[in-house]
Amino acid sequence: MDIVIFGILWVLLTGVAEWGVHDWVMHGTYYITASNTAVISQDAFNFLLFAIAPIVVFVVLAIFYPAVRFHARRGETGEAPVQKRFNPVMVWTWILVSFFFNVFVWVHPTASGLQAFWNAQTAYADSNPLIVHVYGRQWEWIYDYPQYGISQAVDKNGEDILVLPVNRPVKFILTSGDPFHAYDSRVDVIHSFWIPAFGVKWDVIPGETRTITIVPNKITSTAENPRVRVQCAEVCGAGHPYMITDLRIVSASDFAKWVAWEKAHPAD
Amino acid sequence: MAQPQAVVETPTMRPRARRSMPPVTRGALWALIGYLVGALLIYVVDPQRGHPFLTEPAEIIGWLGAVIGWLLGVGALEHVIHPLVGIEHEEPRYEGWRKYFSYATDHKVIGIQYMFNSIGAFGIAGFIAMAMRVELMSPGPWTILFQYPEQYLNAVGIHGSLMIFSVATVFFVGGLGNYFVPLLVGARETVFSRISGIAVWLMPVGILSIALSPVLGYWTAGWRDYEPLMQADPSGTVYYYLGVAAILISSFIVSANLITTILFQRAPGLTWNRLPMFCWGILVTALLNLIWLPEIIATFLVALVSREIPLQLFTAHGFPLLYLNLFWLFGHPEVYIIVLPALAIWQEILPVMGQKTLFARNVGIIGLAFVLLLSGMVWGHHLFTNMSNQEMLGFSFFTEMISIPTGFAYLTSIGTTWNSKLRLNVPTLFVLFSMFNFFIGGITGLFVADVPINFQVHNTMFVVGHFHYTIIGGMVFSGLAALYYWLPKLSGRMYDEFWGKFAAIATFITFNFTFMQFFILGIDGMPRWVPVYPRYMQGLEDSISIGAFCLGASFLLNAWVIWKAWVKGPKVGPNPWNGRTLEWVTTARPGEESFREIPVVQASFYVYGDGSQPAVVTVPESPGVTA
Repeated sequence: MDIVIFGILWVLLTGVAEWGVHDWVMHGTYYITASNTAVISQDAFNFLLFAIAPIVVFVVLAIFYPAVRFHARRGETGEAPVQKRFNPVMVWTWILVSFFFNVFVWVHPTASGLQAFWNAQTAYADSNPLIVHVYGRQWEWIYDYPQYGISQAVDKNGEDILVLPVNRPVKFILTSGDPFHAYDSRVDVIHSFWIPAFGVKWDVIPGETRTITIVPNKITSTAENPRVRVQCAEVCGAGHPYMITDLRIVSASDFAKWVAWEKAHPAD
Repeated sequence: MAQPQAVVETPTMRPRARRSMPPVTRGALWALIGYLVGALLIYVVDPQRGHPFLTEPAEIIGWLGAVIGWLLGVGALEHVIHPLVGIEHEEPRYEGWRKYFSYATDHKVIGIQYMFNSIGAFGIAGFIAMAMRVELMSPGPWTILFQYPEQYLNAVGIHGSLMIFSVATVFFVGGLGNYFVPLLVGARETVFSRISGIAVWLMPVGILSIALSPVLGYWTAGWRDYEPLMQADPSGTVYYYLGVAAILISSFIVSANLITTILFQRAPGLTWNRLPMFCWGILVTALLNLIWLPEIIATFLVALVSREIPLQLFTAHGFPLLYLNLFWLFGHPEVYIIVLPALAIWQEILPVMGQKTLFARNVGIIGLAFVLLLSGMVWGHHLFTNMSNQEMLGFSFFTEMISIPTGFAYLTSIGTTWNSKLRLNVPTLFVLFSMFNFFIGGITGLFVADVPINFQVHNTMFVVGHFHYTIIGGMVFSGLAALYYWLPKLSGRMYDEFWGKFAAIATFITFNFTFMQFFILGIDGMPRWVPVYPRYMQGLEDSISIGAFCLGASFLLNAWVIWKAWVKGPKVGPNPWNGRTLEWVTTARPGEESFREIPVVQASFYVYGDGSQPAVVTVPESPGVTA
């Protein structure tokens, strides 16, 4: 009888939970997704939310239902009335369900999401991407646009700024170190190139060159939405909290105008 | 007329030395002397001597001299060195609180010593956390409490290091494990009781080294001390490495001791099939310690050497990722070292509180064993943002898989509470809360293990929320459950039921209020290791900080409830919960012989109801101080 009550409660509360998840997903769990990678990441997040709702309800209910239903009354002593050492149906169902659930979420959304992510990397590799060489040093991001001869992109205040055209693949080449000063690279440390609105970060490892290709899909800027920014996501010393730059995603024509402006006003 | 008895005096017998100085004071004094001796040794060979007097090599050798002086002064001279060279004398007896401040071989005393070290470190690290939360109430761009950002970063690093290495790793194994494992297996002492008595004195060394390391220079690399940043950081890193090494060596010795005790000191009739669940948990945890602690100590030594000489092992000229992998090879099993005793304690407490047979006990043990097996196969999930593509799927797969044996602890616990007669007292409440919290931690781990999601949430507050839920929610809540459960045994007294329940519920509510918000904050774009942040997140940060202050207060409340019970709670008999395991059979308090007669076990500790027998054949009359 208790199993029936538990089952009914489970179904009802799962319904409530799924409705809550649906509401949250409709509002956008990631607050803003401004690139293809953000969409892949958010899709995985949303799917997992729907998938775990019945499990969360089950386990939370299973923890607290016995406390409510089977607790000893005040002053009651003695052993429990029913003693069960083993229940093969329950145990094997639990093991098999948890096994298959875990294999399933590994296939989707982990492997499928990675597949989408990798496809995006290779598909856009041959499509004349915009190339931005990102140098990470303590404690500055330096953006170099080799295709346009811009060695350091800065805004009117001289601050490093990343400007990208919407809907054009951009290949970020990530290296550690300052291209303008000669020094022993042994002092370089690990940074992490993170754009919250792009749903992805990639580590910058001294001595290594890494690439990641992203397609921004929304015209926006840090001024409009502070999640649209570049921030270092790996502790890199005292200046780590300040290793932030603005980011602007603009139309193709605005991007061309900006490039022209940058070339007319070189950073040094 | 009878001949007077001849008295033979052995030449090596010394009259009992009247120690004028308490061991801790003498240890501190000899530590100071040892430090100066070590530093002077380096000074003598330093080609640029005197500029400055304390160079990093001097700090290292000085520290080693200090540790040797400390250990000797605290009791190793009389109890380890003198017996080694044949000098015998009467061991001074300390009574009352003094025995905790000297060398002891009684596992119950050592257990309490470890617990005090752990709780002390928890207090220091917790206070630091309160300071961090004050800082985070202001978005910046200037820091308000700390003068410089590197001071904040150092605080974060000390908080993490103390909590992980001296609280989470030690409380259940060195603390409760030392006290209760011998009792649970029916042994009077542990196998390596002498070295165990010395090992515990490494704890204050380690804790103080870490806590005071900023004096040498603020280090910013955090508890994970990633290279190459750690090489470039100021000198405080040296005492991080050495302090952590000291604590881990102590944990290693505890682990070897407890494994050997479980293997060889079990009472008659206590077969492997009857081994208590907490002992299974400690056994598996101690095995993980034996495997992985040498690895991380070696890694730290290599990193320290690489810093001092200096070598280029982990810099741009070398291989930074090597360090990251070496660290996480230990780092992931470490979290199972932290949580496995908690999973075991649920299965220890719930059958007693529900007076019901532990459901599917074998499945519970298999769960612990499979977590042990899989724990060394998942470390890469900390490195998804810097590993090569072909490694991602494998690590993700094993990370998903390890959640299955972890779930077995839920299977047995829920199967036990179902249809039970569950007494909803404070230990039970803490166990249920722990199960809920650890589950939230585990389910959010599912998100972090998903690689595309990981790309977004890695190194954000989402991860910080995840691991605080698993560690505080899992280990600390279970530690409190165990402390309240075993308080009648530790102190002979009972806590106040109302205040205990109030404290439990307050801790649960404040904890969830604080840390549930971390997940939102992480998705919203809040990274780790920053005292300043874009202004749009201030609302959440303030809300979290207020919750954190309340959580800190609730921990203080728990401390007060336990302290009040220990000092003036109502006295209780040897088995107030009607438990079946062997620690409830003895009435002894710390410092006394646990079992006058070793009990003989005849049946399972976890079977209740019809068809069960008393677990113990003979109930020995154990000496006990009822006061």
